[in-house]
Amino acid sequence: MADLTIAVAKGRLQNEALALLARAGAEVSAAALASRRLALDDESGRYRFIFVKPTDVPVYVEHGIADCGIVGRDVLLESSTDLLQPLTLNIARCRIVVAARHGASLRDLGMLRVATKYPRITAAHFGAGGRPVEIIELSGSVELAPVLGLADCIVDLVETGATLRENGLEEIEVIGESTARLVVNRASYQLKAAAVAALIAALVRAGITDGE
Amino acid sequence: MSEPLSRIPGGMRYYFGREAQLRRRIEATAMTIFDGWSYEEITTPAVDYYSLFERGMGRFEAQRAFRFTDLDGRLLALRPDVTSAAARAAATLLAERARPLRLCYALPVFRQQPQSHAEWRRESTQMGCELIGANTRLADLEVLLIAVELLRSLRPAGGYAITLNDVGIFNGIAAGLALDAGRREEMRQLIEVRNAADLEDFLRPFTTAEERRDFSQLIQLSGKRETLTAARRVIFNQQSVAALARLEARWEIIESLGLDKDFEIDLGDVSRLDYYTGLTFKIYVNGVGVRVGSGGRYDGLTASFGKDEPAVGFVMDLDALTDMLGGSNSDYERAATSLDRPPAKAGDDPVAFLRAVLDQRAEGARVLLDTSS
Repeated sequence: MADLTIAVAKGRLQNEALALLARAGAEVSAAALASRRLALDDESGRYRFIFVKPTDVPVYVEHGIADCGIVGRDVLLESSTDLLQPLTLNIARCRIVVAARHGASLRDLGMLRVATKYPRITAAHFGAGGRPVEIIELSGSVELAPVLGLADCIVDLVETGATLRENGLEEIEVIGESTARLVVNRASYQLKAAAVAALIAALVRAGITDGE
Repeated sequence: MSEPLSRIPGGMRYYFGREAQLRRRIEATAMTIFDGWSYEEITTPAVDYYSLFERGMGRFEAQRAFRFTDLDGRLLALRPDVTSAAARAAATLLAERARPLRLCYALPVFRQQPQSHAEWRRESTQMGCELIGANTRLADLEVLLIAVELLRSLRPAGGYAITLNDVGIFNGIAAGLALDAGRREEMRQLIEVRNAADLEDFLRPFTTAEERRDFSQLIQLSGKRETLTAARRVIFNQQSVAALARLEARWEIIESLGLDKDFEIDLGDVSRLDYYTGLTFKIYVNGVGVRVGSGGRYDGLTASFGKDEPAVGFVMDLDALTDMLGGSNSDYERAATSLDRPPAKAGDDPVAFLRAVLDQRAEGARVLLDTSS
């Protein structure tokens, strides 16, 4: 019986998270990873990992089904979560940006059309600037929207910026950083305090957390 | 044109049979325990003026209530909490009663807007108690001990924890840093999610690197007495130090009673700072992903209703406890007595049959009738 269940976001974050966890002493065998099971134990048996869509990580952790989770800050900012966030992890370093077609001027447009997977972050950002926007919510391939004329600009997550450039887009503005965070269920933080503290300490010791 | 009536509004549910029975039993246990500590039951209006809850809970919390208008145009709400109306009663209806007042209740509260993924219920029953008119260490201990007795009587498999803090600790620090409302809330949020790294950054303009790091680490840990000792090495302003001393005084008694295993000091618990004025505590039960209860001291609440009195109390969520105990094979849940004989048939003489049934009922026996003929 594992001490802690950890929900890991699938996708771009998953491999970096697994490498990080291995360095912290929670290694999942290659054989286990090759199986298509979505719930895996680490070699020591102390941790159980479940792999879920990024937006589902907070759901599993909030319900206490997973004690902890590893997920990008963008997911946490977009949904209102009631989770503890004791650690920023130095992996999957991305930023949330406003981007538009090369040379596009966003200044004179009356009502800006913004395509995004992050309607809340978008509304908050433009709202803070007093700028009225029409938000077009998309599930993916958001870069297409300004290329095809669906929107004037996008709010999206960017890592290297290569995808933006390849689609003729450029960053106009950075809204915020979004690296991965460790999130913890409030009740687990109290009732499994020792195990959670050990995990945090192991991640810090592995020396790959954000800090001076 | 007609809506299918099979749907139930979001956040609402039925309870029936075994689960309803379990729920009643837990409620009865709580009310019996409250009665055992000399608390009297109070029932507050389910529909009340919205302004009452705004005043009692603060606008941010009150806004989650179901609101509607009365015939005279005044704004009403389905009660989102019980404490507001209890405080109002203490200041009005019960103003002349001897102090301290001991009130207890088990009542449904309603929230139109849930707070998180895990909080889907829009109606839930709060079981709580309020001790009004006493400001002492003993008063704080009384409600904590009631909470312990209630949790122990439920025997949750896997245990529980009651975490303690005092709002004076955070308030002293925020005041010492002369933070404006926005910055104060920013710091409170960083502490609440235990974000030590960003908290260290936040404190950069104010203190040394070592002090920043020590303080940030402090809010990440919960622990026993050593947490208070560690805190005193880092926190020096008068208000916080006084709060730490208060907390330590209560901890000493808890330790002397041999109850320290049930409790933790959690300096990172800084929710509802605008409401509480001293001791705060949260109750967690293993197997429930969310908190099952919370409480604290809230001197100053009754003043807004016309009579300034100290008050301390707590609530626990009956539905969360029912979920937890219903799911597990806890020894608290008695097996439902099942009737192993078939329904009794009336035969040719319904009158004689019913007479016999009435006799059985007079003896307190359980009956099940076959009503088909």
